Amino acid sequence: MTILQQIKNKVRARSIHVAYVDVGSCNGCDIEVLACLAPRYDIEQYGIFVHNNPREADVLLVIGAYTPGWEEKLAMVWEKIPPPKAAVAIGNCPISGCLFNRRESFVDPPVKKHIPIAAEVPGCPPRPTEILQAILLVRDAVFANWEGEHP
Amino acid sequence: MGQSMIWYLREFARIEWIKKFLFAKTAPLVTPSHFRGFPEPTGKTCQHALFCMMSCPAPGAIEVVHAEDGWMPRISKGHCIRCGLCVEACPNGVLKSGRILETMERERTSLLFSFRIAIDLELCTGCGNCCTACPVNKVADAQMGAGGHSSNDEVIMRVQAGDIVVIHEDKCTGCKTCEVSCPTGAIRIARILEGFQQPVQEGSQ
Ligand code: SF4
Ligand code: SF4
Ligand code: SF4
Ligand code: SF4
Repeated sequence: MTILQQIKNKVRARSIHVAYVDVGSCNGCDIEVLACLAPRYDIEQYGIFVHNNPREADVLLVIGAYTPGWEEKLAMVWEKIPPPKAAVAIGNCPISGCLFNRRESFVDPPVKKHIPIAAEVPGCPPRPTEILQAILLVRDAVFANWEGEHP
Repeated sequence: MGQSMIWYLREFARIEWIKKFLFAKTAPLVTPSHFRGFPEPTGKTCQHALFCMMSCPAPGAIEVVHAEDGWMPRISKGHCIRCGLCVEACPNGVLKSGRILETMERERTSLLFSFRIAIDLELCTGCGNCCTACPVNKVADAQMGAGGHSSNDEVIMRVQAGDIVVIHEDKCTGCKTCEVSCPTGAIRIARILEGFQQPVQEGSQ
């Protein structure tokens, strides 16, 4: 690996842009993601910025149980993200449908049926610390050595 | 000018401020031990009362499975919402989560299940399926045959003169086996979860 690639790795891992998409949640998880931005957890001290623009994003946070309105749209959002990219499922909803996954309901979990999910954070809602830890782990797994794996 | 520069640097280029700027980290990412996590076993023996499953609001979150040494509740992450109801409802204290058990002891609270049997006599044909299917009846009167007749007074319910009679509603464990076996849907079991708080005597705190 050249010095340039090493620098690129360092910079890339230190500057993660996050977009989040709510595919039918109760808003609980959205609030916990919001709490990550607040001074108490302060996501920006790790170099993570919330942009909410898939074109600029590295990590996509998927929240919610996948309601019918999101068919095709979620895959579209995912394709718009340039690689390297990773999607993280936040909360029980994208993993199992949580309390909404009952007979006669319209949700269609898990979200990993529809787009590839790199990490799942269980909890209803998960704590901001858990969300942060997941993003940091995904960062180390996907972005910290991207140049080495994709010469 | 020069002096004010030095003063300025001394005032603002403090080592600890520079450190904080470069290595800014708020409180480390730890979860305090009193936070409710996913319920964990305390090591006490599960008696298979299934109250945890009955109280759980999340579909598919908890199952009591047969492990190598007896029954044990198993929590599914991704389904469990960490509400702690199973911890409170378990009569044997098999599960723990955060400081729920300590709080229950301090506040003298408890969650208790009770069960009511409701039979719609309009629909009931007196077939006795429910009586023979009930596992409590099987233990109380092993002789009970098809038809649900019994001379034993310890059974929960039995068929008398073509009608179903409930004798010991208090023995019902809420398993709902009878509901499933009834051909007409006449029998219904209500699971009632009540929260109690015992009064704290004055001066005891
Ligand atoms: S996991 Fe729970 S808190 Fe999060 S969106 Fe689903 S229901 Fe709401
Ligand atoms: S904590 Fe709540 S959701 Fe989780 S298994 Fe227990 S009762 Fe079910
Ligand atoms: S719920 Fe179970 S224990 Fe109660 S009467 Fe029905 S079969 Fe018997
Ligand atoms: S199984 Fe149903 S129909 Fe038969 S005796 Fe019981 S309640 Fe009546």
